[in-house]
Amino acid sequence: MTTLVTLLWGWLLGAFVIGFCMGWIAVVYRGPSIPRVWMRWLSVLAVAILAVAAAKLVPGRFGYWLDLGLALFGFYLVGCAIGSWLRDIVVTRQQARFRL
Amino acid sequence: MHGFYRWSAKWWPGLIPFAILWVASAWFSTPPLEADLTARSADALKSTVLDKTQMTVAGRDVTFAAEAFSEDGRRSAVASVEAVPGVRLVNDATRLVAEAKPFVWVAERDNVRVTLWGTAPLPASKARIAEAAKAALTGTEVLDRMGLKRGAPARFDAAAVLLLDQVAKLKEGKATIMDSNVSIAGMARDLGGREAIAAALKNLPDGFTVAANGVQAPPYVFQANKDPVANTLTLSGYVPDNNVHAAIVAAAGRKFTGEKIVDNLKASIGSPGQFAPAVTAALGALSRLSTGTLTINDRDVKLSGDALYDVAAEQIRAGLAKELPRSWQAQPEITVKPAAAPVDASVCQQLFTQNLTKGRIRFESASASIDADSTGLLDRLVEIAMRCPTTRFDIAGHTDGDGDAAFNQTLSEKRAAAVESYLVKAGLPADRFGTVGYGATQPIADNGTEDGKMQNRRIEFVVRPNP
Repeated sequence: MTTLVTLLWGWLLGAFVIGFCMGWIAVVYRGPSIPRVWMRWLSVLAVAILAVAAAKLVPGRFGYWLDLGLALFGFYLVGCAIGSWLRDIVVTRQQARFRL
Repeated sequence: MHGFYRWSAKWWPGLIPFAILWVASAWFSTPPLEADLTARSADALKSTVLDKTQMTVAGRDVTFAAEAFSEDGRRSAVASVEAVPGVRLVNDATRLVAEAKPFVWVAERDNVRVTLWGTAPLPASKARIAEAAKAALTGTEVLDRMGLKRGAPARFDAAAVLLLDQVAKLKEGKATIMDSNVSIAGMARDLGGREAIAAALKNLPDGFTVAANGVQAPPYVFQANKDPVANTLTLSGYVPDNNVHAAIVAAAGRKFTGEKIVDNLKASIGSPGQFAPAVTAALGALSRLSTGTLTINDRDVKLSGDALYDVAAEQIRAGLAKELPRSWQAQPEITVKPAAAPVDASVCQQLFTQNLTKGRIRFESASASIDADSTGLLDRLVEIAMRCPTTRFDIAGHTDGDGDAAFNQTLSEKRAAAVESYLVKAGLPADRFGTVGYGATQPIADNGTEDGKMQNRRIEFVVRPNP
């Protein structure tokens, strides 16, 4: 694992940064949200794909690309979460200042 | 928590740059990753003994094909690749090296090269054997056509290296190991090579047996060349040992009284049986020729040259085969020297005296039997007699001073008669000879010394013009 991280850290950091930016924007974004039902199905799909990857069912390069995609997606989600959380703190403080 | 759920429903637009990043990372990271895994997998297999190793990496999956020399080795090789960090799956296409039954190894030598055939048990022993071949056969091309298979007998390497040393002693031939049976055949490079190989094969490692040893010795050659112009007898080739060497040179000295002996003989083992008697007999025949060459090749005796007169040629042709030991073959190619120009009585006397000064007619002790060593000299005397058709000869016998005077008188007469008989048998008319014996009455040297006695025991030819 360490070997892979050493080789791929740049790409993983990239995914994290994209996620962080998206999370930062998402708090104040007024565009359409994904419906709840979709979210549920997408979560199931993600778990299924994770299971396929863990079982090493996809061979060769495609298998590697799947693993790579999942690892990047993990970093993207963590980036989103941290971005949204930090933005929420900033927005809450601003709203508190306006109330005063 | 509720906030996270709400925000996550709006994270989807980021998936567009994310997808681009994914494609880019897949595009750029795959080749270096595969190269890295290939290098580290090969590194992990460094200490494992395998043949025909092939490795292909696709993503993080390694397809690994190789031939292993044991089941343990095969498993440990696969485990080593699986343990390489970053490898996800190993597609195991390894198998065991085929087993050879029977296990055959061959080293074949011809004039220019040595070819190694058959199978070796491990790459290391294959390399060791090829190295040993190059070391043992310096200056000869070594062609390594050995394959690798399992099933070699124990201590195979040692046996193969020992056999390569023996192949080096062959001019051409073949050494074979079939399971634990060793066989070798061919022509030894040097005399004694066959014996050396037979001795070395006794040191084969335990468990190996000599199934066949068909090594042949090179021909054992002895040559003698009589050159009347240089007045030399040149001896060359081989003799079995120093004793035989000395005996042959001594015999040549007795038989070739007028020639200088050039001795180029070398001692070597491997002579055919009864070598010394055969060479002595053949040298006796050569001594009767004016010019000639004697070539002994193993047991074949080839004598070619010119006899001094017709009867001598016939005697040599018929006598050589009889004088040789049993199982020796004679090939006499004898011609007759053209008759020399006649000479007058005084030259004739001079020639007789010259020949009888250089050499003496020998008799067996206290007997009138002419020693076989003197036939060469007698033939020359016959030739001289033939060149003097208008003369008569008195053949005079003398003894040394030892013994009874009456016995010596009779002995000297009988010896003179024996010489006359030889000349008559050679075709000269008996009425041209007279014989006389003087016993010890006319010494030419002191009878008190061995040397003096030897000079006194003599035959003289006195030429008288025909009345």
